Amino acid sequence: MTGGGPALSGERSTGADRTVLRLAVMAVLLVAAFVALFSRLWYLQVLAVGDYRDLAKDNRIRLVYSEPTRGRILDRDGDVLVENRESLSITIDRQRVEPGTLRERRVLYSIARLLVREDAPRYKKALIAKVKEMRENLNDATVSPYKPVAVVNDVRESLLTHIHENPEDFPGVAAERLPIRTYPHGKLAAHVLGYVGEINEDELESEEFQGARPPYEPGDLIGKAGVERTYDRWLRGRPQIKRVVVNSAGEVVDEAIRQEEEPGRDLILSIDVEAQKVAEKALESGIMAARGAAYQAPDGAVVVMDPETGGIVAMASYPTYSPSMLADGLTEREVEKLRGDPATGDDDAEPNRAIQAQVPPGSTFKIVTAGAAMSTGIATPSTYLPCPGAISYGASGIETVFENWTSVDFGSIGFPESLEISCDTFYYELGWRMEDLWGAANGDGSERFQDYMRQAGFGRPTGIDLPHEAAGRVPDAEWCEEFAKDGLGCFDGWLPGFTVNMAIGQGDLTTNPLQMAVAFASIAADAAEVWEPHVGWKIGRPDPETGEEEILREIEPRAVRKLPLDPTEIAVIRQGLEDVITGANGTAAGAFAGFPLDQYPVAGKTGTAQIGSVDSGLNYAWFVSYAPADDPQYVVSVYLAKAGHGGESAAPVAREVFEGLFGIDDETDVSLGQDASG
Amino acid sequence: MAMEGIFGEAVDRIGGEPISARMARKAPLRHLDPTLLMVTLLLTGFGAVMILSATQHKQEAAGLDPTVFLDRQLAYSVAATVVLFAVCFFDYRHFRAFAPVFYVVVLLALVAVATPLGQEVQGSQRWIDFGFFQMQPSEMAKVVVIVALAAYFSVLKGQLRARDVAAAVGIVALPCLLIYVQPDLGTMMVFVALLGVMLLVGGAKIRHLLVLAVLGAGLVGFIVQAGLLEDYQVRRITAFLDPSPDVQSEGYNLAQSEIAIGSGGIGGKGLEADNTQTSLDFIPEQHTDFIFTAVGEQLGFVGSATLLALFAFLLWRALRIAAMSRDLFGTLIAAGIAGYWGFQLFINMGMTMGIMPITGIPLPFISYGGSSLITNYMAVGLLLNVHMRRFL
Repeated sequence: MTGGGPALSGERSTGADRTVLRLAVMAVLLVAAFVALFSRLWYLQVLAVGDYRDLAKDNRIRLVYSEPTRGRILDRDGDVLVENRESLSITIDRQRVEPGTLRERRVLYSIARLLVREDAPRYKKALIAKVKEMRENLNDATVSPYKPVAVVNDVRESLLTHIHENPEDFPGVAAERLPIRTYPHGKLAAHVLGYVGEINEDELESEEFQGARPPYEPGDLIGKAGVERTYDRWLRGRPQIKRVVVNSAGEVVDEAIRQEEEPGRDLILSIDVEAQKVAEKALESGIMAARGAAYQAPDGAVVVMDPETGGIVAMASYPTYSPSMLADGLTEREVEKLRGDPATGDDDAEPNRAIQAQVPPGSTFKIVTAGAAMSTGIATPSTYLPCPGAISYGASGIETVFENWTSVDFGSIGFPESLEISCDTFYYELGWRMEDLWGAANGDGSERFQDYMRQAGFGRPTGIDLPHEAAGRVPDAEWCEEFAKDGLGCFDGWLPGFTVNMAIGQGDLTTNPLQMAVAFASIAADAAEVWEPHVGWKIGRPDPETGEEEILREIEPRAVRKLPLDPTEIAVIRQGLEDVITGANGTAAGAFAGFPLDQYPVAGKTGTAQIGSVDSGLNYAWFVSYAPADDPQYVVSVYLAKAGHGGESAAPVAREVFEGLFGIDDETDVSLGQDASG
Repeated sequence: MAMEGIFGEAVDRIGGEPISARMARKAPLRHLDPTLLMVTLLLTGFGAVMILSATQHKQEAAGLDPTVFLDRQLAYSVAATVVLFAVCFFDYRHFRAFAPVFYVVVLLALVAVATPLGQEVQGSQRWIDFGFFQMQPSEMAKVVVIVALAAYFSVLKGQLRARDVAAAVGIVALPCLLIYVQPDLGTMMVFVALLGVMLLVGGAKIRHLLVLAVLGAGLVGFIVQAGLLEDYQVRRITAFLDPSPDVQSEGYNLAQSEIAIGSGGIGGKGLEADNTQTSLDFIPEQHTDFIFTAVGEQLGFVGSATLLALFAFLLWRALRIAAMSRDLFGTLIAAGIAGYWGFQLFINMGMTMGIMPITGIPLPFISYGGSSLITNYMAVGLLLNVHMRRFL
């Protein structure tokens, strides 16, 4: 440029200077804009790149899980208890058809019209009933609101065609082939088997469902109760996991299989279908017989256990329910049904009373007191003690009287007779002596009686492979303190009378039929082992070619403890238990009259735990036994609530069970026996 | 050419230099700005590549010609080049006289858009369909308004009185109103920005600018309060405050856009990469208004920063030409063009990165679209015109 250029010459120069200044202002604004863009770019692409890569991945990658077939559940001989079948079900998407709306009404009626034949009698009523049933399923709160809900199962194939051809009448309605748990034996062993349902939030967060591979996800079907729950990790199988890449429209553009599907394993139980049938039938007959004698008998349980392995052969709880009712979600009516029935006197059906009852064991507990007394040395197998009609303890003037169940004085008796006639005063004395030495009130507080109880399996879960097992309670000074703190009782601290009462299985001591079965099993075998009972036995899978069950693993029987008793000590207890059946004064002699005892000798103990007075009928009737007495194969533990005396209502149930187990041909049903003992 | 000297004899020298040589030295062609042309071509090529990469997957998936958008954009750039040279050819100072004519023609075109001649796409009536080409007059109007304001202000020689400012507002307001009814808020914003830039460089007093800013803010407030904007417009404009990957929400586009750019990282994912935000079609309107997301994702920080640098170079050339111009008219044209590009690229890139509201403003030279490209080339033509005639 020469001469500085014409732009800056003459009259325009001041104006031009100002213009350059203004251009500079503009340039500054532009530089600011560029700095802003550059900084943002730096942030997005250099500083936050990791976050945005993750977000981009979330955008395009979906993991799709298949639903693997759940394993079957078989009895010890391979008899199928639970399997799957496919149901053609109609589902409704609750996002599109909101319950309670006009649209819901319309859709449900459209479906109902397909299901109910027009020429059916009382067509309108049938229609309304069908809609009501579907609505209950639709409102099932246990099912995830984000998943379509099955409102009707097992519909005809032709129905689907109709729905597909008239989509405008059926918004949000679809058909799915859903696997449904089926139960070839119906209600049998419902409490042991349990049922399945969708995992809920609490379960997802619970320790029980943590750390599984593959991890549990919302919407997964899990075992909610019974072995379905404890063995869920075996039964559930492994889903196929497909990693798919989708575009913005959700269309799959690429996919790869991350994990192959593996069907769930079969679970083989130690349960024997035939024994289970026998136990359930005997229990129900026993309850009915007790009701016939004007007892309330609202519930009860039977446990049949193998004393040499802890394997549960049968486990029955009354009232029971149909697991298939729970397999497709619960309707309101079904919930009502589960809750019990005031008309028949049935209690609620859900708890498995064999492991969840928490009631005093009554005189069946005397074998524990006897064992404790001998193991601690305050008695020997040859000890003789008086059996008066009543006995009193304490300083004169403030003494407490403890009565036997009868006022007859039996004189001095040994352990076998004390069990045969169920002498309370004999055991009061043993309790008193143990309190005097080790009790928290009179003794040194070492509570050796309670220690023995815990060793025998009381006050702690047995460790059976079923959920929700109750621990029961072994009362001691510490419990007493807690109890008082909670304002429930025990306000004067531990009293000597507590130990005396506990010695005959009364008071605040609680247990369940399974714990009693375990306690008797340890007496039934010479090794005096305390078993960890189990219903699961083997894990297997059907061979794809032969269909035969291939065993993958076997659950080893496990003795968790050993009672500190020597064979002579066990022998006197066993003698007593046999005398209960065979002795002239045996409390269960009447119940077993006519039973082929020479062939199948039975040993057992009655128990009548009081709630009110002995005669009020509100007693827990117990009978715990094993047979054959010389080589025990089965321990049978029977418990009936509010059903009178043990020898009267419970022992006949056990007899019925033994008859079934040993194949003894006996046409008679359960009939009440004679027993007045405490 | 010889000139008559004061003594009647032929003068063929001025300052000892032959006139012919002097003429040749000052010939416009010799003062073309080749670097400006170069950066224009680079930007156009950059854009063409990104358009191809942003559209080919979608086209292939739909079974259509994957290069159709690229082909059309290349055709537009050929047409635009012709326009560029046409604009260069005539001395820009003639445009001052013709400015009112251009202005009226553009106004008529904008009116025509509002008539049944106009074509509606997605609720906006912005185009006139010529069969082979859909013209968007509001794009051309940007350059015409720049020229019109430059012509008006250059007459005033940098002394703008209040009524001159008011008249300038009027010049901008007319096309703005016509664009408002289309509706096209983004383009309206460009006009408002242009007015600001032209007033600043054209010599408006600071207090006038301040009063205008206050009035403008008041007007915006009134428009929002009086409900003159549709709900979706308000939501779209405010969405950048709350990006959300929820498909239902207004923030979805923005969230996807930020994810695309952010996930590009430093080096980018490459133009041919599969399973990108771009190839999986997560960004609506990606080849037009959201083209920068393709740059960010596929070429990464390196590519994005390169593009920013090219733009910075472009704006520097424009401002340099504004400063070098022989007269105020040329300065104002060049400054207006710099403002126009600067504003558009700031709003466009800013919106894809979530620091500016989402408005339908294309990225100059990069976004797909004939009207926009031709207008930008027109602007380059004007710059070259001013530059090469700075000695005449």
